[in-house]
Amino acid sequence: MEPVVQFENVTKSYGKHVAVDNLNLSIEGGKFVTLLGPSGCGKSTSLRMLGGFETPTSGRILLSGKDVTKVPPNKRNVNIVFQDYALFPHMSVAKNIAFGLELKGLDNASIHRRVSELLELVQLQDYASRLPAELSGGQRQRVALMRALAPDPDVLLLDEPLSALDAKLRQQMQIELKAIQEKTRKTFMFVTHDQEEALTMSDTIVVMNKGRIEQMGDPHSLYGRPGSVFVANFIGETNLLRSTVVGTEGDVAALSWNGITITANPGGLSPKVGEHLYVVLRPEAIHCSAAEPTSGNRIKGKIRQRVFKGNHTSLMVEVGAGTLLNTLVHPSDVAQLNGEDIWVGWKPETATVIPDRHAHN
Amino acid sequence: MRTLFSDVPRASLTAFYWAFILYLLLPLTLMMAMSFKDANFVAFPIGEWTFDWYVKVMQDKQFLEACLYSIMIAAATTFAATTLGVWIAMLIVAEGIRGQVIIFALACLPAVVPGMISAISLRIFISTIDMPTGTAAIILGHTVHAVPFVVVMALTRLRSMPGNLVDAARDLGADSVVAFFRVTLPYLGPALVGGMIFCVLLSIDDFVRTFFLGGYRPTLPMLIFAKVQGGMSPEINAMATLVLVVTAAVGLYAEFLTRRARTR
Repeated sequence: MEPVVQFENVTKSYGKHVAVDNLNLSIEGGKFVTLLGPSGCGKSTSLRMLGGFETPTSGRILLSGKDVTKVPPNKRNVNIVFQDYALFPHMSVAKNIAFGLELKGLDNASIHRRVSELLELVQLQDYASRLPAELSGGQRQRVALMRALAPDPDVLLLDEPLSALDAKLRQQMQIELKAIQEKTRKTFMFVTHDQEEALTMSDTIVVMNKGRIEQMGDPHSLYGRPGSVFVANFIGETNLLRSTVVGTEGDVAALSWNGITITANPGGLSPKVGEHLYVVLRPEAIHCSAAEPTSGNRIKGKIRQRVFKGNHTSLMVEVGAGTLLNTLVHPSDVAQLNGEDIWVGWKPETATVIPDRHAHN
Repeated sequence: MRTLFSDVPRASLTAFYWAFILYLLLPLTLMMAMSFKDANFVAFPIGEWTFDWYVKVMQDKQFLEACLYSIMIAAATTFAATTLGVWIAMLIVAEGIRGQVIIFALACLPAVVPGMISAISLRIFISTIDMPTGTAAIILGHTVHAVPFVVVMALTRLRSMPGNLVDAARDLGADSVVAFFRVTLPYLGPALVGGMIFCVLLSIDDFVRTFFLGGYRPTLPMLIFAKVQGGMSPEINAMATLVLVVTAAVGLYAEFLTRRARTR
């Protein structure tokens, strides 16, 4: 199947600043794709280029196989849900949603039918004649979404649309957005800096950093097998253990981490002795216990900090002078860890190994 | 200290305020009162009260013609000044325009140039280009004067407009013209109505420019001026009272509109 969106060697620079650096990306139809990254990573610029509000400095953008690099926004079959919704304040909810349909030249009966159909999808039938100012944040969000969906775009672009909502509503909208996407089978391209949003909704996450794609994949593989230190740090909480290879045996490597010897599974890498590696260890992969574990990596440590988080407790365990491990303990296991001295342990295969790209000594 | 600085000055502030209001309203009240006086001259005591002067004014062909002429000029001025003013305001907020401060300063210049200087220079200008004095010249003079007020009002509103409203319209398929008429202009709406009313008032009220640029057909202020030259009479008071009431009502409505525009 032909991809709906293709970025081919797209670069966008503002003077000396390169916002998007030789981006190559192709997106399949019907998917919920998230561009994730810190502010200034080029995700919004990429979205605006696809929307037609920025022109690439070089490269091509294809939409359903057609080159749209120089096509103005009103002639592209993509629609944006803006960060602050950008609803027309002088038009009713129904008029806002009908705007794109009217400009498509649809007759009144079809416009009316489509508007009521969309309002029904988000249960706003009773609000058709309200002005945007008379709606709550979540309702405005839904109207903005329906207005952008109304003209039946090839791709729906969402530019951090949840950032203006409070935490509770944001979670609710994440689920609703995903449900709408699944119901309409549209391609959603969502931009956010919030990794939790990305993990919750996406079929595919594109992690961007400094104008480039850092890693791309489904939420599971990105979280479980981050390909770089940046991705490991950006998605979820993590312990990054910078270690030196001291020996290898089959697919198991013995590593020295701050003087502590651990084993890891280097996966596709074939590390040499003396090489530096990062071991990515998620807090929930670490098992804390009072007694010494019988297998896997195990280190004796002292509890330095306990943070109660409701459904779990976060323990900071000191395993060497000044070396802390962030661990996650379930409520049922906390009770037995009343002393200061505990054991931390993990199975080597639960950790991911990342090469240290920057140092070669 | 507190009482010294908060209470005592407040009493005197209040007193000065009311003295000012008295000074403002007394002449106006006197003028209005005299318009009801049943005599041919303006002086106290009023004695008999009458509406005759109003009846006379309303039947005065000269007065009605002058009114009509003033309104016509005001309408043309408003149309021209609003178009120009919005245009300039859009230019000032447009992205990638350099020297916006200079554009703004130049656009506002006519509001601060003394009316007399502006009138004389325009008069010299139109005679240089062989343009006759009269309606067209008056409209030109009034328009130049009114533009800055429209610019300021439109600009204030435009600056409060979220930039991505136009982006959203473009995104949904509107070209820039459609986006302007369906999104930007309605958004400007209340501020524009306020600005237009301001134009009308400025034009109706203008004497100096009209005096220098006008032909033989008198506008309302010119007619009243001519009548005053012929001696004060309660008829003039009646005319002035009518003008006052109408313009004050219109002005207050404009203020109400712009206030609503600012708070919405």
